[in-house]
Amino acid sequence: MTDKFEDHESRHSSTSLKSVDNADNQNSAQRVPPPETPEAIQTRFRVIAAFWAVIIFLGFPIWWKTTSIYRAHLPIQEMTEWSEGKICRPVFPLEIQIAAPALQMTESQHLVRTTQHALDDLNEFAAHHLRLKLANATDLSDNGASMLSGQNTGDGADTALTVRVLSEDGLSTPRSELHAETTQLDIFYPPSQVPVPSSSNPALSVFIAEELQRLYSEEKATIAYILSGGTSGPDAESISRRLRRSMKYADTYHLSFSLFTPGAAPTSWDIEAAIQEYLAPLLFAFTPISNFTIDTQVQMYATFSPMAPPPLFDEVESAWTLKKEDLSAFINAAEWPLNPSIGNGPTLNFVLYVPDPSQSPMVVKENRASSWIIPQWGGVFLLNPPLETTDSSGSRTNPAHLSQDSLRPAFMTFSHQLLTLLGTPATPSSLPLRLQSMIRVRAAALLLSASSTMGSLARLTESLPSIPIPATVAASVAKTLSQLSATCSHLREGRFGAALASARIAESEAERSFFEKSMVGQVYFPDEHKVAVYLPLLGPVGVPLIVGLMKEVKRLVAAWKARRLSKA
Amino acid sequence: MLLFTRLLQAISVLLFIGTAYAEHTSNWAVLVSTSRFWFNYRHLANVLSLYRTVKRLGIPDSQIILMLPDDMACNPRNAFPGTVYSNADRAVDLYGDNIEVDYRGYEVTVENFIRLLTDRLDEDVPRSKRLGSDAGSNVLVYMTGHGGDQFLKFQDAEEIGAWDLADAFGQMWEKKRYHELLFMIDTCQANTMFTHFYSPNIVATGSSELDQSSYSHHADNDVGVAVIDRWTYYVLEFLETQVTSANSKLTLGDLFDSYDLSKIHSQPGVRWDLFPGGEQEGRLRTVVDFFGNVQDVEIENANATDPGSLKEDLAEIARLIEKWRTRDAEYAAIIGNSTSPSADAHSSTVHLKTKRAVGPTKMADESSWGKRLVGLSVVGACTAVWVAGTILGRSA
Repeated sequence: MTDKFEDHESRHSSTSLKSVDNADNQNSAQRVPPPETPEAIQTRFRVIAAFWAVIIFLGFPIWWKTTSIYRAHLPIQEMTEWSEGKICRPVFPLEIQIAAPALQMTESQHLVRTTQHALDDLNEFAAHHLRLKLANATDLSDNGASMLSGQNTGDGADTALTVRVLSEDGLSTPRSELHAETTQLDIFYPPSQVPVPSSSNPALSVFIAEELQRLYSEEKATIAYILSGGTSGPDAESISRRLRRSMKYADTYHLSFSLFTPGAAPTSWDIEAAIQEYLAPLLFAFTPISNFTIDTQVQMYATFSPMAPPPLFDEVESAWTLKKEDLSAFINAAEWPLNPSIGNGPTLNFVLYVPDPSQSPMVVKENRASSWIIPQWGGVFLLNPPLETTDSSGSRTNPAHLSQDSLRPAFMTFSHQLLTLLGTPATPSSLPLRLQSMIRVRAAALLLSASSTMGSLARLTESLPSIPIPATVAASVAKTLSQLSATCSHLREGRFGAALASARIAESEAERSFFEKSMVGQVYFPDEHKVAVYLPLLGPVGVPLIVGLMKEVKRLVAAWKARRLSKA
Repeated sequence: MLLFTRLLQAISVLLFIGTAYAEHTSNWAVLVSTSRFWFNYRHLANVLSLYRTVKRLGIPDSQIILMLPDDMACNPRNAFPGTVYSNADRAVDLYGDNIEVDYRGYEVTVENFIRLLTDRLDEDVPRSKRLGSDAGSNVLVYMTGHGGDQFLKFQDAEEIGAWDLADAFGQMWEKKRYHELLFMIDTCQANTMFTHFYSPNIVATGSSELDQSSYSHHADNDVGVAVIDRWTYYVLEFLETQVTSANSKLTLGDLFDSYDLSKIHSQPGVRWDLFPGGEQEGRLRTVVDFFGNVQDVEIENANATDPGSLKEDLAEIARLIEKWRTRDAEYAAIIGNSTSPSADAHSSTVHLKTKRAVGPTKMADESSWGKRLVGLSVVGACTAVWVAGTILGRSA
């Protein structure tokens, strides 16, 4: 607007000057103006030269600088290769220590060798394989501390599992026992089956191999599913169902615990103690994988939405029941203050619902369950506390305060729901092993997702030439690529905790580079728009300048010709 | 026999791919009105009516991005303060008492809209203002306002071109921010807005062709302005009368077949070619795939004992807690007799930080003294030049 306005102004002034000129010309019918002095010609030449010097040496570079889009150099080739999986083939060599305190050194070495053979025969998915190693007796004792986090302090590979081979009297066939709280598998064998070094395929080795294979079958299938991009692999359907149910990976999850009740009680709960007691251990176990923040709220007089079907009283069960298909309408999304917009991470909602005394106890009709999971959202638990008779009229109310003990079932269930929502594999039945397995699965998924983000960014920069690419993006890309190769080499050497750590950095840097704030190509200018922008501005300014330049050049050429003629 | 089993495998794989493809895991809606001022009442009413419909069909507020550039309910010219109606019968107050506007007033700009779609937002932008969709999300984008050939005006001040919109969707697809996308636009020459789209899995529909206007449906004489546009009115009529529940089986084909030229007074358009399987496949998508929300819950069977079931997990968690408790006790014993440091150590290992009151902080960390010094020297230099100039001028 201002340009146009000024434009108008200048044209006005020039026309008025012209009219003055005209007046002069009319006067000069009698008088011829004096010829221009050489000094005047010289001055005019200098003025025009000065104008053009400013245009060429100042105006043009400034225009070029301010209108050009800064595009930092990105290693497009390398980024594309990462996304196509050409640079890194992720492998998962799991190190398993075998301890056989009762056996001779040669016997146990033979056992390890034959079991490894049997394992290699059983394995169909080459990227994920188990490597057996004979443990020193001293290693075993101090392993317990690092079990839970699944991380090894040393430089070597993480020990995924320790197998102890023990002899037990009175057995006919070998049996196995998985320790639920550590990463230890005990194999008991009848003393008669001690493998003799001469036998090539002893029964004990085959048994151990099959046990190990069974232990890691789900993880193997999951990794195969992820690496193949979700199209193939055994059990693809159940895995895809589980992955669909679980949240997308995030560095930080926000956990929101809410107590909802339609009446006036309960008004308080021992939430801090309950979280500290029942949830903190689990969250601590998850520290290598994700961070968590927690907030809690109590909402009284929280009613169902008017559209939701009300619970029905079931005479047989003597309970108020909710039908399974109505559960999706249970959460009154419109009125219950869920989903606090805090922080960056996705929110997992855990709703503890205490029904009204007139509708207590409340259960799900189909199987009398009191909890359910809403995929990718959170979980609900119906808590039916024992009712209290307070006043003389005999009306019964909910307790005003929920103690830590009464919250125990709810928080145990929430812990389970958290495990499910975070996508923890269901087998094997030892939590440390499941968490370790999750570390590997997450590392694989993050490696893939960061690589594909790199590919997306590479394609984006090539397809949108008008989008700026700041230097920070190039830095993030470089960091991502280096972390990706670190992840890859960690994986190859079996250090899964370290691999996940660098994959997390790679993922967050990749996200940062793709979602860089200043990379918004928001205004596409067709060429006619550019003409429309520049012409009103440059036209009025450019015409006198160009005409002046042409006149001056003409004069110079004429002078030069005249000089040559006079010389000749 | 072998051949037969192979065949079976192939069929099952095909079936699996088919089912996997059709599924989405969440629903998002982006509802945008782009025009200000009282006489554009109907554009806000359009958007609010659609907002009400998607909410009725189950998309929660946290997954709806509502952009309203003006506040009609509180406009001084509104004869019915605090309300917005999309029909002269004034049966349904669209403003109601539960409405969450995510972008309002001058926040509704082309830049913010594109930033929203591509998620190129500041870190401190709250989640309610972000489109958190992922590779499994079906996204509904509805826009209304005043437009022309391949552009849509925002707030009388700027416009979004069809190219920019296409690029925004292209980037969303690159970053896997939608599974399937339904784009609806009600403006003059609306169909020109989706001519440049190039990313797959988009169904686009608009109210009018090139060189055609979209018309308003009717005016409310007491409100004093038109209250809804024709195309939106008939789309809503279909949604409100036919799609009565979140389990409705009506398809996009049914919705688009319900377009009646004699009522809409312009030629609505539909673009199928970006959708895999084209029109044939796209017509089979249900309306609630885009207007409703995924509704499935998983009840936990308290009696099942298979791995990963509730019971199994509870036992494991209980063991974990037990172990934690014993370790805690040991740790406290190691630390010493004083209880307070052990309690501190405990809370720090668990990473459960209690909230601390936050005091005022400095926004920038550069030293203010350096800046002051620079300012002072600049002022000093200017003064010196001025003084020198006056002295020299006097002597000349």
